[in-house]
Amino acid sequence: MADQFIIETEDLRKSYGQVEAVRGMNLQVPAGSICGFLGRNGAGKTTTIKVLLGMARPTSGQARVFGLAVNDPKASVEIRRRTGFVSDDKVLYGYMTVEEMVRFTASFFPHWRTDLEKRYLRKFELPPDRRVKALSSGMRTKLALLLALCRGAELLILDEPTSALDPAMTEDVLRALVAHVASEELTIFFSSHQIAEVDQIADRVVIIDRGRAVVTGALEDLRENFRRIQLVFDGEAPNPAFRAPGIERVYRKGRILTVLSSTGADGVIEEARALEPVSMEVLPVTLKEIFLETVAVEED
Amino acid sequence: MLWYKSWLETRWRFMIGLVLLMLSATSAVLIYPQVVKLLPMVSTAELSGEMARRVAESAELARNYRSYVWSHWFSANMRQMWTLFAVLLGTGGLLAQSAGGGALFTLSLPVSRNRLLGVRAATGLAELLVLAFVPSLLIPVLSPTIGQAYGVGDALVHSACMFLAGSVFFSLAFLLSTVFSDVWRPLLIVLCAAIVLALSEAFFPDLSRYGLFRVMSGEKYFRGDGLPWLGLLAGTALSAAMLYAASKKIARLDF
Repeated sequence: MADQFIIETEDLRKSYGQVEAVRGMNLQVPAGSICGFLGRNGAGKTTTIKVLLGMARPTSGQARVFGLAVNDPKASVEIRRRTGFVSDDKVLYGYMTVEEMVRFTASFFPHWRTDLEKRYLRKFELPPDRRVKALSSGMRTKLALLLALCRGAELLILDEPTSALDPAMTEDVLRALVAHVASEELTIFFSSHQIAEVDQIADRVVIIDRGRAVVTGALEDLRENFRRIQLVFDGEAPNPAFRAPGIERVYRKGRILTVLSSTGADGVIEEARALEPVSMEVLPVTLKEIFLETVAVEED
Repeated sequence: MLWYKSWLETRWRFMIGLVLLMLSATSAVLIYPQVVKLLPMVSTAELSGEMARRVAESAELARNYRSYVWSHWFSANMRQMWTLFAVLLGTGGLLAQSAGGGALFTLSLPVSRNRLLGVRAATGLAELLVLAFVPSLLIPVLSPTIGQAYGVGDALVHSACMFLAGSVFFSLAFLLSTVFSDVWRPLLIVLCAAIVLALSEAFFPDLSRYGLFRVMSGEKYFRGDGLPWLGLLAGTALSAAMLYAASKKIARLDF
């Protein structure tokens, strides 16, 4: 496994009894990227993250963070020393005050960023004397984010960081994240089922479904390469077997044949000419469409 | 700071235990003059068998202050209350936190599970040590107020017996808390086990000479037969084994 990838998994599997939550996950997250980990609820996002952080043991396969094996207890402590984390439940210690929670967390991280702590306490308007259990869910999320951002971490793993937040609060949190990345050198790996927020801040995307990565790549490349080619025929659309690589899906409806390609439109257009369509149109594909199409393919 | 977290999580159970045990120790001392006044009225004439024997034995023990303290405090009130708080302090921890939330944050810290568990166990045992010694040391301090004397050495020995043998209940609750994700099942299971043990020691005197509660009360020492070394050693070893098993269990858990 190469070192330029901060996170790397190879045929990673995790089962809970008879239930296989992660089924041969192959992930590669390059250093310095903001990688959105997109999938439906129950797709295996949280389980994968738990395995990466040593909270759950892999059933088989390999997973490395910073080149360290996640199933080695000593390496796992080192991984967590260099990683900031926000869990999907955002549950912290209700009996502590905000101030105590910050001091408690800071004590474990030698590179704790006091400057960022002050900045985010002010920016998020967190009352230092208030007990965590008395905070609203939005404030709790902000505190969890502060505790992750100030660790001086090289990697941030955020599990559904904006779940249970209203749109205004979501926007606040995303902006804070983008501003943080702009000023710090770090890698962000964040899971979400909100396509819009991945689209807004990620530069790489991993789409997973039923415990496996079905699409992986730079967001720009995906936008560049995914194309919808629509062919209209005089009569009933034919049912050709395209040989071009990267054909993700082919639909026939009456006179219209639609092809979804993940490797551009050229190969499909070349083959389609032989079918003599009346018209041919190449359309760009949004991340939402890519997500819905690839997940839908898996469902069939 | 893990120590601080453990303290915050257990402080109320500990403080309540300390206050109750201290009140109980104080009242045990202060009511002794009344007990002495009532002794001539004790009669076993209308009783027979085991019951008569026990009443007579209690009255006999109460005639001497050292015996009274042992039978009324170390062998009764303290033993029961301390056991209850040992079980209460043993429950909870990482698995219980995972049910109520917060465990994922703890597990994201750069700390091994062994250290998390070790700090939690050490905090609980330190609190139990205080619960064993502080209320009992009140007895030699308060005894002069009623014109009596009780040796500090006796109080220390009985407290040490209570702690070393009784830590078995703490460790069992601690171990079960790595098996069950709620606090109630470990609590109920260990309390039921303690009640069964106490009843069996009460009804089978031959067996009770090896019983855990008898070692906890330091009966052998009280009767002048020296310290119950074997019982203390066995209790400590059993406790250590259960804490070790808990660490092995928590290391394998998926959260």
